[in-house]
Amino acid sequence: MFDLSGRVVLVTGASRGIGRAIALELGRAGAAVAVHYHHRADRASEVVNTIEGLGAAARAFAADISDRGQVDALLRAVGEWKGRLDGLVTSAGIFRGPSVEEVDAADWTELIATDLEGTFRSVQAALPYLRRSDQAAIVTVSSVLGSHPAVGGVPYQAAKGGIEQMTRALAIELAPAIRVNAVAPGFIRTDINRTGHEDPTFHDQVARATALRRWGEPEDIAPAVRYLLSREADWVTGIVLGIDGGIALR
Amino acid sequence: MNDRSTLASAKVLVTGGSRGIGRAVVLAFARAGAEIAFSYRRDSAIARSTAQEVAALGRRAYHRASDAADPTEAARFVRDAADALGGLDVVVPNAGIAPTTGFEGVEPARWAELSSTLLVGPYATVDAARPYLRSSRGSVVLVGSIAGLRAYPEELPYSAAKAGLLSLARSLALAYAPEVRVNAVAPGWVHSDMTRTLYDSPRGRAAIERTTPRGRWGEPDDVAAAVLFLASEGARFITGETLVVDGGEQLAWRVGMLR
Ligand SMILES: NC(=O)c1ccc[n+]([C@@H]2O[C@H](COP(=O)([O-])OP(=O)(O)OC[C@H]3O[C@@H](n4cnc5c(N)ncnc54)[C@H](OP(=O)(O)O)[C@@H]3O)[C@@H](O)[C@H]2O)c1
Ligand SMILES: NC(=O)c1ccc[n+]([C@@H]2O[C@H](COP(=O)([O-])OP(=O)(O)OC[C@H]3O[C@@H](n4cnc5c(N)ncnc54)[C@H](OP(=O)(O)O)[C@@H]3O)[C@@H](O)[C@H]2O)c1
Repeated sequence: MFDLSGRVVLVTGASRGIGRAIALELGRAGAAVAVHYHHRADRASEVVNTIEGLGAAARAFAADISDRGQVDALLRAVGEWKGRLDGLVTSAGIFRGPSVEEVDAADWTELIATDLEGTFRSVQAALPYLRRSDQAAIVTVSSVLGSHPAVGGVPYQAAKGGIEQMTRALAIELAPAIRVNAVAPGFIRTDINRTGHEDPTFHDQVARATALRRWGEPEDIAPAVRYLLSREADWVTGIVLGIDGGIALR
Repeated sequence: MNDRSTLASAKVLVTGGSRGIGRAVVLAFARAGAEIAFSYRRDSAIARSTAQEVAALGRRAYHRASDAADPTEAARFVRDAADALGGLDVVVPNAGIAPTTGFEGVEPARWAELSSTLLVGPYATVDAARPYLRSSRGSVVLVGSIAGLRAYPEELPYSAAKAGLLSLARSLALAYAPEVRVNAVAPGWVHSDMTRTLYDSPRGRAAIERTTPRGRWGEPDDVAAAVLFLASEGARFITGETLVVDGGEQLAWRVGMLR
């Protein structure tokens, strides 16, 4: 089940956190994985080595996802790597949680350019390659904050809400050939929220608010992405799958 | 963790497991190495042949006729299944009917039949399974429908009951957490006996192909894979969710599909 042998998949933001866990899981499923990163070449090469150790192919690719030219170059390089591309997972992203008054023009632009436009640009640049695959699938990464509001970080929440509707609009426009789905993680322990989960009070508040009574781990997200990319999910498109331990049920 | 190792020897109960989606769920779990108990309503010949397919995979399939719409019967089946398998890890309330009712003058008896089959019965099954699932830290996957998410006046009580079932998934997820996960799948148009009349009419069949972005009907295996995923260790942080498996149909409101 959920085998990805023979597929080539690009995972953006795969050097750390959720993207890293996804890249490893896809390697375990037999996919050749293009491991994208921005600055952390050391972490990206650790991911590549681990995937190769699992017996799958992997290579690291650098690009600033908020820069259109770099995203186009990234997809050309990835497309040339194995001569094909079957899957795209857009996990590269940043989080900022300022109050409304604190958001200045540069903050807004950086957040939207990275999380929202970075996702769109990756999809757009991947299309020429995905269109040649008979198993093409895209998984975007939203957040529980894409549909449930929280105090602080309006630009992030607007970007994530945008990613969810982008996912549905892409699913319908790229149908029937290319499937497009999103995962919406809850609170997952990574570098992005280290100050949050290292603060005992906040750590406990989130764990208590989560029905499953704990923070998520990057490894909790990866199997769903593997499922959504697989042949077994051939009839699944345009969904946003919450992976949040039930934090938003009430 | 890979799905084989986590579902291998899992004890799985499926209501309405003899035909259609239920049968595909039964066989998918059996292929993953699980032990199965399934119920059906009356067609024992088909049930026997599904059980033989499970046996051919080298797995057990406890099965008997049991009305999943009757709460007492449903609870008895859960106990018998748990006794036969030695516990329960996964429960899939799937049994269903979809008579054409329309929206006018729907008789109370019809309401009672549909709500007992699609809402009260599934609740009774899950409620009876709760102690077994608590001790195994198991999970529930309810079989809903996108009819529970969209307007569906052609089968109004069916649609309303399925909406209720999806609500059950959310409330029970919260009620049973953190030991037991509860999720639902919401299929679109799936090729089974339930939809055979439409599927067999060329125009009906083509109409669904046209309004489904993926351009085809679903097969029971499409739904079974989603159920298997939600029940697997890979879905350990997913609870209270509805996984729509519909080829994109719920996106296809009429203006949205225009170019
Ligand atoms: N953690 C959570 O609780 C949570 C919850 C919901 C959604 N998410 C989403 O999940 C995704 C991954 O988050 P995470 O928690 O895994 O974060 P993380 O551990 O901070 O990892 C972020 C990744 O994105 C890359 N990246 C950041 N900015 C980039 C840029 N401008 N260009 C290219 N790559 C860039 C980083 O590359 P370098 O290593 O090279 O810096 C890194 O690989 C994000 O979209 C986030 O919004 C996270
Ligand atoms: N097919 C679709 O397009 C579709 C779409 C969305 C959701 N669904 C849902 O998926 C589920 C399965 O549907 P299906 O298409 O597989 O239907 P199906 O092919 O008609 O099979 C129905 C199964 O349920 C059993 N059953 C019905 N009523 C029962 C009762 N009161 N007690 C015990 N078993 C009972 C039947 O047993 P017998 O053989 O003995 O009658 C049979 O095994 C239903 O909940 C349905 O609402 C189906």
